[in-house]
Amino acid sequence: MALFFLAACGRTDGSAPQALPAGEWREFEGSWTAAGTRETLQLGPDHRAAIFHLTGSLLLTGPQRPAVGFRAEAIGFSDTRAGMEGRCVWTDERGDKVFSELKGEFVGNGNRIVGTFVGGTGHYTGVTGEYTFQWQYVVDAGDGAVSGRVVGLKGRARLGSPSGAQSR
Amino acid sequence: MTAAAYDKWVRKLLCLALAAGIWFAPVPAGLTAEAWHLFAVFAAAIVSVILNAFPLLTASLLAVGTVVLSGTVDAAKAFAGFAHSSVLLVVAAFLVANAVVKCGLGRRISLLVVSAFGRSTLGLGYSVFLTDALIAPAFPSNTARGGVLYPIILSLAQANGSKPEDAGTRRLGAYLMFCGMASLSVSSALWLTATSANPLGVSLAVERGLKIGFATWLLASSVPALTTILLLPVILYRLLPPGVASTPDAAAIARTELLRMGRLTRDEWIVAVVFCTMVAGWAMGDRLHLSLTAVAFAGLGLLLATNVLTIADIDLQGSTLVTFFWLAVLFALSTQLNELGFMGYVGERLTALLGGMSWPVTYVVLLVLYVLMHYMFVSQGAHVLALFSVFLDVGTRAGVPAPLMAFALLFASSYFSTLTPQGGSQNIIFVGSGYLTQGELYRLGLLTVGFCLLVYLVLGTPWLLLVAG
Repeated sequence: MALFFLAACGRTDGSAPQALPAGEWREFEGSWTAAGTRETLQLGPDHRAAIFHLTGSLLLTGPQRPAVGFRAEAIGFSDTRAGMEGRCVWTDERGDKVFSELKGEFVGNGNRIVGTFVGGTGHYTGVTGEYTFQWQYVVDAGDGAVSGRVVGLKGRARLGSPSGAQSR
Repeated sequence: MTAAAYDKWVRKLLCLALAAGIWFAPVPAGLTAEAWHLFAVFAAAIVSVILNAFPLLTASLLAVGTVVLSGTVDAAKAFAGFAHSSVLLVVAAFLVANAVVKCGLGRRISLLVVSAFGRSTLGLGYSVFLTDALIAPAFPSNTARGGVLYPIILSLAQANGSKPEDAGTRRLGAYLMFCGMASLSVSSALWLTATSANPLGVSLAVERGLKIGFATWLLASSVPALTTILLLPVILYRLLPPGVASTPDAAAIARTELLRMGRLTRDEWIVAVVFCTMVAGWAMGDRLHLSLTAVAFAGLGLLLATNVLTIADIDLQGSTLVTFFWLAVLFALSTQLNELGFMGYVGERLTALLGGMSWPVTYVVLLVLYVLMHYMFVSQGAHVLALFSVFLDVGTRAGVPAPLMAFALLFASSYFSTLTPQGGSQNIIFVGSGYLTQGELYRLGLLTVGFCLLVYLVLGTPWLLLVAG
């Protein structure tokens, strides 16, 4: 248990997020390990649609990252022909949230997704920016359970000024 | 208050202090309060069982009550384990085992085993390991395989006069039960098709460009897995002496008893047919798209319909209800710990600590960490999905040959299941027998997994570098 406690609390890469002024772009990279559910509807031999709900730990790197990491939760609709549309909420350790919209290819191995920040709460009020990622794998674990991992997540974010901020 | 009662209260307070200490500690950056609080409760529950402050049932009920009432986990998610197919399979397997014992078929099979291997208790231990190793490739579910082995082992223990409530004879049953648990874990590492977690891990390894088939797996696992199968019965015999060592007359007595039992009775025939059909259903479940749990329930229904089992028999299975409660709760809480991002977070953070180390050191540390993290999992599959790719990525980035790292993690994903009684649903069937104490389960679990880790590191590593590296 001490191992888990130390791993969770200990510093690992030595780079705490920098406190940059609001309005400046912050670039970041990261990974996301997610688990959840996916319900699939077969629409033909080569055509299927699915609704998914995934949650997991999203960890960021880079000196300008807005935070060390978030709990990321995404829901969406995915179609092998029409692509994917989803919504995502990142929540940090204080409970502050970042909202984003997801668009891209069907949720599957190697497929690319683009996220656009559309607002936030608390520290992230009025945040704008975008990020992209690829699924390293998405695996069905039986009974509708699904698990996936994203590596090479890259993006940039600009925190809004607290006064004129947009919040959802 | 006696010294023992005082000691127990101290342990309970320690667990409470642990839960409160973690709960109220600042939430680490990158985690949510819910994930952190769930970790506090889950960790305290597991520690309370290890310290023998509470039984598993008490710890589980306190944990689930706390996380639901505090709003940490939704009630629907916290209770989802009660409807999970793996949990229900364990319950059904328990009840079916009861029929095998009650009708006398289990005794007959155990007498056959004793007549062949019964000159010593160690021989019986080997018979458990070898039987499991031989049937394992046909069973994609080690829980279902546990359902096959358990009634035979239970009958073996009973046929040798061992009873859970009798301190003098309990250890023989305890030895055989732990042999059953350990054999399921090491046989699962031997064959690609012996547990559902193996193909799951292989499908993740494919993403790294690795191609692992049935033969490749068997070649890679053969030396370390067969070594553990050959040595573990003796090691467990030393760690948990069964009390009765040599039984030179047992084989002859068993043969006489078999003659006295005569032909199969009606109930034995029914159980034999139902049980063999269930075994066939479990073995071919994947190919025929059958739910393993539905196969078990159908079998149980048939045994009730034919009056081999009665409602009164089910009424007597209170221990099954106890097992069902704690397994369902721990299964759901461990799943939530994963879904709230805690497992992935800890895995990423731990592996980030390894930068700058040489690849052999990274390899050993990663493997040890991967195994130790199983203390927080109640499912091998969930562990593989949450951490296998993270650890494989870090290992290969540090220069560990990808096939070596992948196979080492894949094999560990099987043998680490004996680490805790809840480390794999197949364990639960044996834990519920009552022959093993909580202290024995955790102590033997750690020692068994430690031994397997040593064998896979010392023998397995050079072998893997030779055949797969």
